[in-house]
Amino acid sequence: MLKAYMILSILLFSIGIVGLISRRNIIVIYMSIELLLNAVNLSLIAISADLADSSAQVMSLIIIAIAASEAALFMSLFVVLFRNRASLDANLFDMLGNSNER
Amino acid sequence: MQNEILFATLALIAIVSSIVMISAHRPIDSALSFIVTLISIAALFALVNASFLFVVQIIIYAGAILSLILFIIMFLNIKDENLPDEKHKNRWLLATSLIIAPFSAILIDLILRSDIAVNGVSDAKFGTIKDVGLTLFSKWVLPFELVSILLLVALVGAVTLSKRSE
Amino acid sequence: MRDNLLLTILLLSPLSSAALIFLINIFQKRDCFVVPPHNDEMGHCEQFVVPLRNDEVDHCEQSEAIQSVGTPRAFPRYRSRHMWKQPIYTFLALTGSGISAVLALYVGYYSYFEKEVFSSHLFTWLSIGNFTIEVALRADALSSFMLLFVAPVSFLIHIYATGYMDKDKSYGRFFAYFNIFVFFMLLLVLADNPIIMFIGWEGVGLVSYALIGFYFKDIQNTYAGNKAFIVNRVGDFGFLSALMLLFLSIPSGGFSFSNIFLSLIQIEPFSLSLIAFLLFVGAMGKSAQIPLFVWLPDAMAGPTPVSALIHAATMVTAGVYMVARFAPLYNMTPNIALLIAYVGALSALFAALIATKQYDIKKILAYSTMSQLGFMFMALGVGAYSSALFHMFTHAFFKALLFMAAGAIIVAFHHKQDIRELRGIKFPKVFKMMAIASLTIVAIPPFSAFFSKDAIMGALYASGHVEIFAIAFVTSLLTAFYMSRMMFVLFFSKSEQSADESPKSMVYPMLLLTIFSIFAGFFNIPEVFGGAMNFSHWLNLADKSFIIPHAKELVLMSINTLFIALVMYNTYKKYAYTNEIIMEENYGIVTKKFYIDEIYNKIIVASLHKLSHFFEKKISNFLIDEKINLTALAYLKFGKIISIAENGNVRFYALYMLIGVMSGFVYLYWFLRSAV
Repeated sequence: MLKAYMILSILLFSIGIVGLISRRNIIVIYMSIELLLNAVNLSLIAISADLADSSAQVMSLIIIAIAASEAALFMSLFVVLFRNRASLDANLFDMLGNSNER
Repeated sequence: MQNEILFATLALIAIVSSIVMISAHRPIDSALSFIVTLISIAALFALVNASFLFVVQIIIYAGAILSLILFIIMFLNIKDENLPDEKHKNRWLLATSLIIAPFSAILIDLILRSDIAVNGVSDAKFGTIKDVGLTLFSKWVLPFELVSILLLVALVGAVTLSKRSE
Repeated sequence: MRDNLLLTILLLSPLSSAALIFLINIFQKRDCFVVPPHNDEMGHCEQFVVPLRNDEVDHCEQSEAIQSVGTPRAFPRYRSRHMWKQPIYTFLALTGSGISAVLALYVGYYSYFEKEVFSSHLFTWLSIGNFTIEVALRADALSSFMLLFVAPVSFLIHIYATGYMDKDKSYGRFFAYFNIFVFFMLLLVLADNPIIMFIGWEGVGLVSYALIGFYFKDIQNTYAGNKAFIVNRVGDFGFLSALMLLFLSIPSGGFSFSNIFLSLIQIEPFSLSLIAFLLFVGAMGKSAQIPLFVWLPDAMAGPTPVSALIHAATMVTAGVYMVARFAPLYNMTPNIALLIAYVGALSALFAALIATKQYDIKKILAYSTMSQLGFMFMALGVGAYSSALFHMFTHAFFKALLFMAAGAIIVAFHHKQDIRELRGIKFPKVFKMMAIASLTIVAIPPFSAFFSKDAIMGALYASGHVEIFAIAFVTSLLTAFYMSRMMFVLFFSKSEQSADESPKSMVYPMLLLTIFSIFAGFFNIPEVFGGAMNFSHWLNLADKSFIIPHAKELVLMSINTLFIALVMYNTYKKYAYTNEIIMEENYGIVTKKFYIDEIYNKIIVASLHKLSHFFEKKISNFLIDEKINLTALAYLKFGKIISIAENGNVRFYALYMLIGVMSGFVYLYWFLRSAV
């Protein structure tokens, strides 16, 4: 059972990474990140059940709390970015590069 | 046996809905399919007797975070022209999947070949609020307090960020 | 031990005083110079910048300018705010050169009377296998002889310069250079091997450069210094190449002069000739002989004591000293020796011809120096080394005296140097001394140069080279002409100018030098007059012996003197109390110095310039810069291509990270699989 959970966790994690990298919509990117967290949570819970130790559950509880705070920040970021650019395109936010030459 | 069938169904739902989530064009579709993913994950939690986490997952993720996302999507009133023009979306998805494939394959291979299942005895208390609460407030007090500070910081940060600059 | 101490003190006292002067001079601040009292507009010092005196003019203080009281001299002189330092400088400078002068006299005395050889081995500089270069000083007869006039004349000119440079802003700097010069000159003279000699040789060249461009505020002076330095480099190239050839040719052992002379026989004749020739190229540069003489007239840009000491009495004679030092070498290469004689003869004649048409008092003396050096080289060339050195000895005195007199005139008459402007000056003391010096240089008996020049003429006559003798004869007549022309124009004219007497510090050294120029000849009275040729015996050089009947020699002398007197009489008739000098045609090939400077500019400077231009444009710019730029450009383009990946989009960075992690992961997995 544990192995199946782990494999599922790996598959969900991979799907999350694919979404994170290949999509340009920042809302989808955000949800992909959440998916990564969920995949990790899944494996943590499976391990916890397997070991009959609730520490891993506490850990995933904390991860959920962190995800919640992350959600708050992301939401405000969406609002600000959309207000400024009227778009959800992640490619617009490329100020890390040499924006003078574009 | 019943558990296995249940697991297979839930896993399938989770994978399919997450694939739909990352490939849907409109964010509202992604969000809705993501709710499905989260709920199926919650059900998977329940399957291993983690009842408290099941509740938390449903309430916080599916209930709070996803409704916040939906609320934001609707609040921003995103129209189709506001969405990024992702012409090569499918190519990107395919290419990234190809890149990630070896990773998944190797990990799955390693897990299948390893001998990790301990199958500790889970008593009736496992996964209850009391059990988790005792662990949280005995062994994990400091991370718990730190997380509360983190939440406060996130709160302040969210307010500061979305404040209109005069 | 005594020798060590003696020679080291002799050498180092000028150096240490120079170092002390420099040390004090470092702390000198910018100074102001005196504004003439008739000027109403104060505070604008730039108006009075005289190219002759360099100074910092920007920070003049008004109050100082108002309070200043002009000196009686009409040209503005600088008043240093650090006047209190001048006595210190004077004391240091005179102590430094004075100690070495006294010690030089001591060394000369013992060398002359006791035939002592002072030698001092300081330390070993280089030791390559069995080849060693020692830092050693050695005062044999020749070196002592050189010391005998170099150090005392330096000392006298130091005293003279305290008067000449009085109240100059750069008083300290001047004496520092002067003392360094004395140090290097003594090093050159005392060196026991050519390497140390070369150090001294370069050192005097360096100081000469610094002192020619002493008033560096006027760019012309700097150019003159550069010219001297660069032309001397050509000569130094010769000297250095000769030293390298010697180094290669001499099998082993030390590199001291005595060792070199011992192993000369083993060198094959051709390279021996080459060495001799290259050494002479060095002498050419330093002693201003054709074709490397062009720097000497321009070197007169320096202060007059510099001209007197460096460009007349001591440094320019270094070439003569060097050839005399290598006398054994030149005795083995008669062809090169003959070349030296011819070059000397040509230079003497050439310089004398140019001097007849010059109007600048210092230039006339410069060309006359070159001419006299030509005489010395003629004597060296035919093998009459001691005659050449004897002439050098007397020349040091009378030429220094002439320059000092010229300097006194220049200072007294408002820095005029043109003899047409200086016509009919009344300057009795200096006139007397200058007249004696002039009579000496034209070789009127019984002044010193009569004996020395006569020795040269006799040797030339006896050597059988009639053409050289003829040139020497003509040159001596020309010398008589231009010297008396200068004297008559300066002092015998209806128009009269007068000026203040020179300060005592200038007059007394001149007086002493006058005495020397009169009596120096008696040290080496030829056998005709019952003399014993003391100097020649003392120096004991590898002279060729010239036997000449006494009667013939006497006839030669009298003919020579007669002609000289005749020339002087004609010159008197032509120039004294006439306006001939102004009416003179001021053009022609002689006036233009045979267009030598122009020819050099056209041929050497212009072609070098073209070559440099070619190198700059084609080689440096095109071949090197262009290619380097191309490489840089290629890197730039390549970087641009690479930077497409760095588009600032975090998604892409995540992708790169993913690819990297993936490949690392796959590699690790594959590696572990194969390992386990």
